Amino acid sequence: MRTYIAKRLLLIVPTLFGAAALVFLIMRVLPGDVALLIFGGDAGGHIDPKQLAAMRERLGLDQPLWVQFGTWLWGVLRFDFGTSLWTGRPVVEELLIRLPLSLELALAATMVSVIIAIPFGMLAAIRQDTWVDYVVRVVSIGGLAIPGFWVGILCILLLVIFFGWGPPLEFTPPWVNPWANLQMMIWPIVTVGYRQAAVTTRMTRSTLLEVLREDYIRTAWAKGLRERAVVIRHALKNSMLPVITLIGTELAFLMGGLVVTETVFTLNGVGRFLIDAVSHRDYPVVQALIFLTASSFVLVNLLVDLTYAWFDPRIRYR
Amino acid sequence: MRPYRTLFTVLALVALIGSLVAPAPVAGQATQTPRRGGILLAAIGADAPSLDPHQETTFATMEMVAPLYSSLLQIDPLSYPKIIGDVAIEWKISPDGLTYTFKLRQGIRFHDGSPLTATDVKATYDKIVFPPEGVRSVRKNAYSAIASVEAPDPSTVVFKLKFPSASLFSNLASPWNVIYPKKYLDKDPNYFKSNVVGSGPFKFKNYTRGSTFEGERNPDYFIKDRPYLDGYKFYVSTETSVRAAALRSGRAWIEFRTMPLAEVDAIRKTLGDKVVVQETPATGLFGIAMNQTVKPFTDVRVRKALTLAFDRYTAGRVLYPLASLRDVGGLMRPATEWAMSEAELQKLPGFGKDMEKNRAEAKRLLAEAGYPNGFKVVLKNRNIKIPYQDFAVFVIQEWRKIGVEAEHRPLETAAWFADGRDTASFELIINGTFNYMDDPDLFLERYTTGDPNNWGRFSDPRIDDLFARQTRALDPSERKRLVNELEKIVLENAYHIPGLWWRRAVVHWAKVKNYVAPPNHYSNQKLQDVWLSED
Repeated sequence: MRTYIAKRLLLIVPTLFGAAALVFLIMRVLPGDVALLIFGGDAGGHIDPKQLAAMRERLGLDQPLWVQFGTWLWGVLRFDFGTSLWTGRPVVEELLIRLPLSLELALAATMVSVIIAIPFGMLAAIRQDTWVDYVVRVVSIGGLAIPGFWVGILCILLLVIFFGWGPPLEFTPPWVNPWANLQMMIWPIVTVGYRQAAVTTRMTRSTLLEVLREDYIRTAWAKGLRERAVVIRHALKNSMLPVITLIGTELAFLMGGLVVTETVFTLNGVGRFLIDAVSHRDYPVVQALIFLTASSFVLVNLLVDLTYAWFDPRIRYR
Repeated sequence: MRPYRTLFTVLALVALIGSLVAPAPVAGQATQTPRRGGILLAAIGADAPSLDPHQETTFATMEMVAPLYSSLLQIDPLSYPKIIGDVAIEWKISPDGLTYTFKLRQGIRFHDGSPLTATDVKATYDKIVFPPEGVRSVRKNAYSAIASVEAPDPSTVVFKLKFPSASLFSNLASPWNVIYPKKYLDKDPNYFKSNVVGSGPFKFKNYTRGSTFEGERNPDYFIKDRPYLDGYKFYVSTETSVRAAALRSGRAWIEFRTMPLAEVDAIRKTLGDKVVVQETPATGLFGIAMNQTVKPFTDVRVRKALTLAFDRYTAGRVLYPLASLRDVGGLMRPATEWAMSEAELQKLPGFGKDMEKNRAEAKRLLAEAGYPNGFKVVLKNRNIKIPYQDFAVFVIQEWRKIGVEAEHRPLETAAWFADGRDTASFELIINGTFNYMDDPDLFLERYTTGDPNNWGRFSDPRIDDLFARQTRALDPSERKRLVNELEKIVLENAYHIPGLWWRRAVVHWAKVKNYVAPPNHYSNQKLQDVWLSED
């Protein structure tokens, strides 16, 4: 087990390095230049080529690529992601402003989705091919098929049209004012949670159906156990492994921010920060955010792998 | 519950006012006594990249920080484009036009308590006109006539010019040129990118990047009894529909920039008399640049054909409700002192009203240039729907009628700037110009040789000469003549295809009083005269 953990940990290094290099290069391949954009803006100012060159130099864009990459990587090792080229503030500082919101949204939406998905997924599996199953399937396919931003805009419009009420425009952390926080966050949480629930419900349903056909379940029925005991004690536990993996990776994905949902609900989160940074060619910010998202995926995968290894000794020797 | 209460209050108020005074004019500038207090809530479509207006070009920076600062002169908040003093109380221009002397108001204090003196004004303008290394000054070129700025005594500022400049006075009223205290600039010329020390009607209160910006009343403001408001707060939302919803639900009471007419109608339908819409023309022109370093746009006949085939008058009718583009005009905004008369304009290629004739002429020119069956071309654009893409879609189908097949290629802002302005890797590209006032220098420099905003890369010594002469022409009628002559050369040679002039629709709740929308979203953002009739 120890060698397995060591091996997995070692594997993280090339994975993260690869991710870092890829992100770095992709950003440099894109046309456009932050120095020009800083001078540009929406009025089309006059640009002095000398000032432009000075700006490039100040931002370090005149250095060869490998030097820029090296400098950045060395910073990352010390958890210093540089300063935003656009705002001139440290990336970590900018990120910390936005992280609580995205974390709250990710965690709450995942929680909502689990609370909805597992019971309904179970119900659909147990009552396969009855009206209950059909309703659950239709609603969950709806969640997969309807884009989140549309559900979001619909939420806002319906509230405004029917109740003359709109969600607050400013994020209040839950520890400052839980009520104000809830007023703002409830709709994004429901919107994101619905989509997540759709995915998880379908996964719960299909794995549970598979497990319910296993021999030991037949044995449990044959022993004369009640339905509740068979489903919850015997089947559910064994069907949860893939579901938990799915929830884990989805959570990692959500923590990277939800660009569209955050834009629709005026949430000042990580996702919107990323999209703004891309359009400003703010290299350090984009690199930091993608790198951190990649890291959180790697971390979640590691945890999942380790959990699997713990449960299933065969995996370790692969 | 709340909407009814508000409605009732508004009705009561309307009845009361109705019985006392004549109906208020559109903008709500009634003869009512201003009320003190309240926080003005506003929605804004972008966040500021930095807080230093000297270094930024976006309205986001301007709207957020304008209330915190003063400038030397200002455009009258209640009557654009009249210029009045702000920090300057009186001024004198020498007869040769080479010396501008400003007397400053006494007793102005910055928010840190230190007095505002001539040295601060000098330091500010030195930063703008002669920026130190590592500091950008985006509007520096507008002040190229300035040789030096001097502060002979604490209440006198003197601008010495290299040559007489017709635009300098109005450019000194630029809302972008806010006055900074010298001592902070000495320490760090970039200090104000992330800090605020102004002398304006409001003091900085709080800023959450990407979310909100707040200012609070400055009790020591140099104009007694101003401002009326206790403060203001901007909510950042990049989604137009969200800002519209915020207005409809009363989470925000004003959106300063502009709203598409469809949203305006929806808001008006829900809120009725509770909202006021101020519709104004705008100092913004959208058009098409043709890259004149590549074929076929080196040929004047091809360029003329493209401008001839574009039916501007129909475009104005079609695009107005969609994209707020409406007015047909030359290179200076129609109906201003600088604009050509309509009769003059209609003689120029593409501005005649007989479209059959225009198209026939366009086809003839194309055939003469060797393209009897038209040609294929790529039209690059910015991937913003209003008004860029709507405009492009219209133009493309107009060109199809003369056989020119343009492929529409919308680009993200960064790539659009890079291809259009920086590297000239385009054939045709949509671009626009937006300025804080109708000043010929601001609008026409882009047609001169080598100007960074001359995306079409054309060069005509006559234009360069006329530009230099008009900027020095102190007699307005002589200047107008030169400006119109320059315009005619650009339009007759079809160096650039001007499209349509933009319009602005500012939607606000009726309780927001005394805000008069100027024809752009840069000026009149100081809010010192704005008040709320209720909270």
